[in-house]
Amino acid sequence: MQTSRTTGRRVVVTGMGAVSALGLDLPSTWAALIAGECGIAPITRFDATGFPTTFAAEVKGFDPTVLGRKEHRRMDRVTQFAVVAAREAVAMARAETAAAPERIAVIVGTAMGGIETYSENVRVLMEHGPRRISPFAVPMAIPNMAPGCVAIDLGAKGPNFAIASSFTGGANAILEGARMILDGRADIAVAGGAEAPITAIVSAGFAAMGALSDRNDDPQHAVKPFDLHRNGCVLGEGSAMLVLEEREAAIARGATILAEVAGGANTTDAFHQVALPDDGEGLVQAMRDALAEAGLTPDTVGYVNAHGTGTEMNDRVEAGAIRSVFGRRTPPVSSTKAATGHTLGAAGALEAVIAIQALRTGLLPPTRNHAADDPEIGLDVIPNVAREARIAAAMSNSMGFGGHNTVLVFTDPV
Amino acid sequence: MTDSSTQRPPAAPLHARRVVVTGMGAICAVGNDVPAVWEAIRSGRSGIAPITRFDATGFETTFAGEVKDFDPAALLGRKEHRRLDRYSQLAIVAAREAIAQSGLDVAADPTRVGVLIGSAMGGMETLEAGVETVVTQGPKRVSPFFMPMMLPNMASGNVAIDLGAKGPNVATVSACASSAHAIGESLQMIRDGRADVIVAGGSEAPVTRMGVAGFNAMGALSTRNDDPAGASRPFDAGRDGFVLAEGAAVIVMEELQHALDRGATILGEVRGYATTDDANHMVQPGPGGEGIARAMDLALADAGLAPTAIQYINAHGTSTQLNEKLETEGMKKTFGEHAYQIPLSSTKSMTGHLLGTAGSLEAVITLCAMRDGILPPTINQVTPDPDCDLDCIPNVARAVQADYAMSNSMGFGGHNVSLIFGAAGTIPASR
Repeated sequence: MQTSRTTGRRVVVTGMGAVSALGLDLPSTWAALIAGECGIAPITRFDATGFPTTFAAEVKGFDPTVLGRKEHRRMDRVTQFAVVAAREAVAMARAETAAAPERIAVIVGTAMGGIETYSENVRVLMEHGPRRISPFAVPMAIPNMAPGCVAIDLGAKGPNFAIASSFTGGANAILEGARMILDGRADIAVAGGAEAPITAIVSAGFAAMGALSDRNDDPQHAVKPFDLHRNGCVLGEGSAMLVLEEREAAIARGATILAEVAGGANTTDAFHQVALPDDGEGLVQAMRDALAEAGLTPDTVGYVNAHGTGTEMNDRVEAGAIRSVFGRRTPPVSSTKAATGHTLGAAGALEAVIAIQALRTGLLPPTRNHAADDPEIGLDVIPNVAREARIAAAMSNSMGFGGHNTVLVFTDPV
Repeated sequence: MTDSSTQRPPAAPLHARRVVVTGMGAICAVGNDVPAVWEAIRSGRSGIAPITRFDATGFETTFAGEVKDFDPAALLGRKEHRRLDRYSQLAIVAAREAIAQSGLDVAADPTRVGVLIGSAMGGMETLEAGVETVVTQGPKRVSPFFMPMMLPNMASGNVAIDLGAKGPNVATVSACASSAHAIGESLQMIRDGRADVIVAGGSEAPVTRMGVAGFNAMGALSTRNDDPAGASRPFDAGRDGFVLAEGAAVIVMEELQHALDRGATILGEVRGYATTDDANHMVQPGPGGEGIARAMDLALADAGLAPTAIQYINAHGTSTQLNEKLETEGMKKTFGEHAYQIPLSSTKSMTGHLLGTAGSLEAVITLCAMRDGILPPTINQVTPDPDCDLDCIPNVARAVQADYAMSNSMGFGGHNVSLIFGAAGTIPASR
């Protein structure tokens, strides 16, 4: 991103919010992550009896009535998460009146939107016929209602859409939000991701692909990114939202600047619907492009938050791609999905927030459940225990079905 | 913000990198490629007919705008087509047509070619069949292809695989503005230098049980079951809802110099874009058409054009009471008295409402209209509505050579997009 050549604008982060299996806000999520806790437990969202995988990373104790006793019933869980995370981010940024409503954009990445509403209404249709469908079924199910409802909640009248790019959606939303500010199309972008996929159909769908860990007897230790014995990911849910802002305007209003969005890139494998090319060429290209845009050499990156799903193929290809970009001196790398689960379209945003927290606090979050090194990985994965390290730049990787690769680079705002 | 003193539009582009269209593809209820679609549209032919995709007995609405005589096995491969939801199949077919017309060799520089295919819903048919499988046969009978077939980004991903395009790739999702956003955001990406070419558009296959039942539950669909071809009547006093339709439309967007250097035929320019949100209500447009008016104002500014430069508007015009009333108010806000001088039409009167595809299909139609000097009609005009008193080119196409045209899209969620296109003749032969 660096400085826009035409507008001279730069983009900073002034607020962050998160709802995850680790906590209902950013402070609790971050504290649990650094403590090495795990948000994964048996599924309660539906009866998972007979399902290949019976555990997931569910958000616990979430009270949607904070959104209004009537209003919350008209929002799918994915939208509820997005609105709550956006409120936290905007409050942290003290951005409520920082820009004209017409100059505030909202971009939310989500892989599948209101899948709970959709699948439940299909069941109603099958069992009771077409005339029993709720008038709220369509508006609650469509993936763009997360940014739509965030805009209504905040009164944000600028550019607004959802981005679907499977598991890179949250990262792409941050990238596009930052571009809008660089281009002068908005002064503030509320950008991030949200997902609520813990449903019978999504669980069955991922299990059918062999993508989910089936260590049903030990959910907390099921997901082992980069470990020799990794056997799949686990579904997670939640949202993370960021307030992105033009740097000079943020300074002028006395906002606390959390990080600078220094660079970003989005490439495509054009290889296979779900498989990755062995050399991770598209991810390599995205990491290199993002660093080039940030004007950084690889050795300045002090931490990489990996996509690290915990599947055999993902972690092997991603590790190889990281080694290709960073050479023999790879920075510490962790996958926080062992703690948060794989939040699909929210993952890129949640992990961007985590990367920025690492930058701010000098604490690198660990990769949980690391027991046995895989010789094919060859990375310092910050096993099991958080580590202190002052860093100047952090990278966050996201990859998704469809061949999407998105990389974001954040720097200390000094 | 009418400026009637400016008769000649300013020629100087505001943006260093201009973006032109070098290929178009479309498949929808009125035709399976762009020549067939345009021939039907300029002739005022409706593609709406009784539903055949599923047994619609007992549904409030029993007709839709279905693609006809589509043979995905022959076009995409006997095995391959089974691993693609219908919305991905349609997207690939439209993208192939567009790329073939452009003459672009994607392999020459694949990382500079992006793909943005918007979709409101993604693989609905796959999703519904999958849920049915889980309920009736249990979770272990779900196909491993369920997930990649269902996700709304897979049309974009599959088009990239089919073409070998390795540049930026996402699906913009904003209900019925999805593909208008795809074109607009592609314009920004090319202007910013993030790609030289983007294959942009939309795809949707919503003629499913849930698609029809869901919109029926909202009272959004026309229920004129005895007269499907006459059901979509945007701006007419008798309009009673939109007609659900399927299809894909894709344009090849290319940086001007890139197109000139390779000797491509230029079909038109994507000249301006703006997007706003109502932040008002989940499904109702904002009061007074304020949001769409603001999008039109900003798009004109982005294009560097005076309101009087616009000679045709392809309206969103869904055929619902509220949409056309507010859209008309919005056009009057932006264009003032001049609004009465601009011919506009809703081609949804013929194609039905393709949801996420609507914006890109209407972009293709608008580009054809400027190329041939023929403005498409709004068919099914019987009873004028005093709330919709602009010139909607009733029933019969009109010969007008438009240099600049606008296409508007609005979606549930409060999304508004305005795109401005320039005819090929407005583009200098070289810079």
